[in-house]
Amino acid sequence: MPALIPKLPRWGAAWLGFALPLLAGAGPPADADIAAAWQLMAGSLARDAYTRLDRIPGAPTREQALAQAVVVIDYQPVTPDRLQEAEAVFAELARGQDEIADAAAYLQARLYQVHYQQPDPVRAAALYRALAERHPDSHWAQLGLVKLGLLLLYALPEPAAPAERIAAATALLPRIKETKLQRDLHLQIAHAGTFYEQPLDTVLPHLIEVDRIGGLVGQAPEDLAIELGELSLRAGHYAQARAYFEAYLRDFTPNIRSVTVRRRLEDLAALEAKAQEARR
Amino acid sequence: MRRLRARLGLGLLVAAFTASVYWVFTRSEPVIRHREVTIYFAHWQIERGPPDGINAAIKRYEELNPRVHVVQLQIPGATIYPQWMRSNLAGDTGPDLMEWGAWLPGEKDIPARYFAPLTAELAKPNPYNRGTSQEKIPWQDTFHDKLLAPKRDSPDPGQIYAVNITEVTLRLFCNVELMKEVLGRVVVPRNFDDLRKILAAVKEFSRKTGRPISGLAGSRDTTRAVAEAVFVAPLIGVAQRLDDAGMLYLYNRQMLAAYLAGRWRYREPAVLAGLQLVREATNAMKPGFIQLRRDDAMIEFLRGQALFFFYGTWDATSLRRLAPFKIQPMKLMQAMPDDPEVGRFVVGQGGEGIGETSLSMYLNKASRHPAEALDFLKFLTSVPGNQLFTDASLWLPAVNGVVVPEEIRNFRDYQEGLSVGQAPYDALGTEVSTGWDRNFYHLTGDQGSAEQFAAAMDAAMPAAMRMDLNAEMRATLVLVKPQDPVIAGWAGLAGEKAKTRREEAEASQTMSEGLALQMQLQLAKTKPAP
Repeated sequence: MPALIPKLPRWGAAWLGFALPLLAGAGPPADADIAAAWQLMAGSLARDAYTRLDRIPGAPTREQALAQAVVVIDYQPVTPDRLQEAEAVFAELARGQDEIADAAAYLQARLYQVHYQQPDPVRAAALYRALAERHPDSHWAQLGLVKLGLLLLYALPEPAAPAERIAAATALLPRIKETKLQRDLHLQIAHAGTFYEQPLDTVLPHLIEVDRIGGLVGQAPEDLAIELGELSLRAGHYAQARAYFEAYLRDFTPNIRSVTVRRRLEDLAALEAKAQEARR
Repeated sequence: MRRLRARLGLGLLVAAFTASVYWVFTRSEPVIRHREVTIYFAHWQIERGPPDGINAAIKRYEELNPRVHVVQLQIPGATIYPQWMRSNLAGDTGPDLMEWGAWLPGEKDIPARYFAPLTAELAKPNPYNRGTSQEKIPWQDTFHDKLLAPKRDSPDPGQIYAVNITEVTLRLFCNVELMKEVLGRVVVPRNFDDLRKILAAVKEFSRKTGRPISGLAGSRDTTRAVAEAVFVAPLIGVAQRLDDAGMLYLYNRQMLAAYLAGRWRYREPAVLAGLQLVREATNAMKPGFIQLRRDDAMIEFLRGQALFFFYGTWDATSLRRLAPFKIQPMKLMQAMPDDPEVGRFVVGQGGEGIGETSLSMYLNKASRHPAEALDFLKFLTSVPGNQLFTDASLWLPAVNGVVVPEEIRNFRDYQEGLSVGQAPYDALGTEVSTGWDRNFYHLTGDQGSAEQFAAAMDAAMPAAMRMDLNAEMRATLVLVKPQDPVIAGWAGLAGEKAKTRREEAEASQTMSEGLALQMQLQLAKTKPAP
C-alpha cells in the first residue's frame, strides 16, 4: 500500500514523539486559565472556576494562589477547615507588597467579618485598619474602610453609644478617596442615623451626598429619592422636600408610592402656607 | 417440528425488530438532535391562557433561532412547585429559566442562592425591540412598571434578578344574571359599604327563596385574597406611624422588627378594625369554606351558587371560557374615611398596585446555556414576543407598546391610592402566614370575633415574627457571602465594564450587609429572657 504521507526523517519523528504528548497536555497558558477563572467567579460560578484553576500544572503563581483561595469562600459545602486553609493562604500572600497582597489582606478580614461561623468583628476591624495604614490608597484598603464603617456602626463593642458609633464611621470618610466607596459609606451612615433615631439634620447631609455622587442601581435610587423628600419634610426643609418629591414623581413613574408622594406634596403646601402665615 | 420452531423464532425476531423500528421513529427521542441547544422554562401558571401564550412565543422564537429548542415545563403551583424547585436547584438539575415569587413559603433564600442578577443586561436595549416603539430604550424601562416587584423583592437592593411576563390584579368577578335577579339591576360597588349592602341583599335573597346562594364564592385561597384587599385600609395609618426610615412604605423586615419591639399589635384598634372588615367579607361565604381550595370556589361560582368570585385576573380566561353566564369584572373597593363602621381608622384611599407586572422569571445561575436562556427571555419580553403571549393567553402584557386586546382592556383600570408595604400584613413571612391560617377560625362564623383572633395572634406572633425576621436576615447574609468571590472576580479582570460591575457589586453587598446587621441587632435587642 502506498504511503499517504511522506516518511518523516528519523530525527523529526523522534522530536515529534517527544513534543506532541507535552503539547497535548499543556493546554492554554496559565494566565488565560486564571483570567477565565476570574470571569467565572464574577459570574458566580465558583465551582467552575475551581475546576479551571485546578487543571493548571506546576507551582501556582501568587495570582493563582489568591484565586484558588477566593474560590474556597463559595465552594459548597463551605467548612471551617477550608476557610482556615484559605485564611492561611491569604495571610501568606498579604506579606507581599503588591496588589495581590492588599486583596489577600482584605479577604482575610472578610473571613472574620462574615464568613466564619463565629464572626470576630474586633479581629476584622484590626485587619482593615492595618491594611489602611500599610497601603492607604489601595482599592482594597479603601473598600476595607467601608466595611470597617459597617462594623463601627453596628458590630464593634466600642464605641457603644449610637451617636459615637456614627461619629466614628463619619471620621473614616476623609480617608476614602474613591467617590463610589465614599457614597456607599455615606448611605450606611444615613441609614444607621434613622435606625438609631438620630436628629434628621445629621442624617440628611449624608443622603444628599449619596444623591450627588449617584450611580446606584436596583431599588436603591428610588428609595433614596423618597427618603430625601420625606426626611427633608420632617426636618422642616420644605423647599428641599418639594424638590426631591417632584424629582421622584418625574423619575420613578409609574410607582406604587406616587399617590402617597402626591399626598405629601399637598401636606407640604399646607405646612408652607402655615409657616408663611406665622412669619407675617 | 424443529423447522416450525425456527420459523416461529424468526417471525418473532422480525416482529420485535419491526416494533422497535416503529418505536424509535415515532415515539422516542430522535437519535440525532436537530437543535444544538435545549433550554427549559418552568412555571406554575397552568391556568387556561399562559401555556398557550408561552407556546406561541416559543414557536416564533424557534423560527428565528433554529439552533435553540425551548421546552415549557408546567408544574402545578400550590403544593408541588416549591418542593420541585428546591430539589432540582439543590441537585443541580434545575431548568434554565424559572418562575419564583417572594410570597412562596420557605423559599426566601432561593434568588440569593441560585439565580443570576440581570441588572447589567437590563441597562441595555432589548435587541428584539428593533423596529418597535421600544427600540433603543433600556430593557428595564420597556416594562410597564419598570419592574417594580423584581426591584422591591430583590434580596439585594442593588440588583435586579427577574423580568416579568404579564401584569395581574385582583378583581371581583360578578355573575351579571344573578345580580340582576337579586338586585334587579347591575350595581357596581363604589366603596366597601356598597359591597356590604350587596352582600346583605344576597343573604336576604337566599333566605327568602331558599336557594343556597352566597355573596362570595368561598375557599381558603380566595379568602386570603379577600382578606388582603379589605384588611389594608385601616392599616395605612399604622404603617405611616412605623415608618422611621421615611420610605413612605414598609418592607417586611421593618414590620417584623416593629412588632418585636412592641410597636404594633393585632389587638390595637386600627388593626382590629381591619380584622372586622375581613370578618364581614368572609361571613358572606358558605360555611366550611376554609376547608376548600380555589378550584372549589370557582366551581361554586360557575354553578351560579355565588354572586362574586374574588381572585386574580389570571383566572379571567378560565372563567370566560367556562361560565355559562355573562361575567363582569369589578374592583373590590376598600373602606374609606366615611365608612360607617371603620371610617375613623382610615386615613385615605388605599392603592391596589398601579399596574404592577408579575410572573417573574429568573435565570438559573447554573444554567448550561445562560446566553440562550437570556436571549429567549429578551424575546418573550420584547414587543413582538409579549404581543404573541398576550394574544394567545388573554393575559395583560408586561411590556410597553404591546396592543392590549379589547376583552381585557378594563383590567388596566387600577384604583390609585396610598402605599402600605411590601406584603400584606397576613403574609409578612412564612411563620406569620402559617399562624394566620392556623388561627383564622377564631375570626369567622358565629363563634368567632376580631378580638378572639387578635388575642390568638398576639399570643402566637412574637415567636413567629422572630423566626421570620431571622429568616430575612439569613437570606440577606446568604447573598452577602458569595459576593466576595464575585467582587474579586471583577477586580481580577481588566476594562471599564469590569470596573463598573465591581463597583455595583461592592455597593449592593454593602447595602445588604448593612440591612443584615440591623436585623441582627433588632433580633438581639428583642430577644426574650430565657
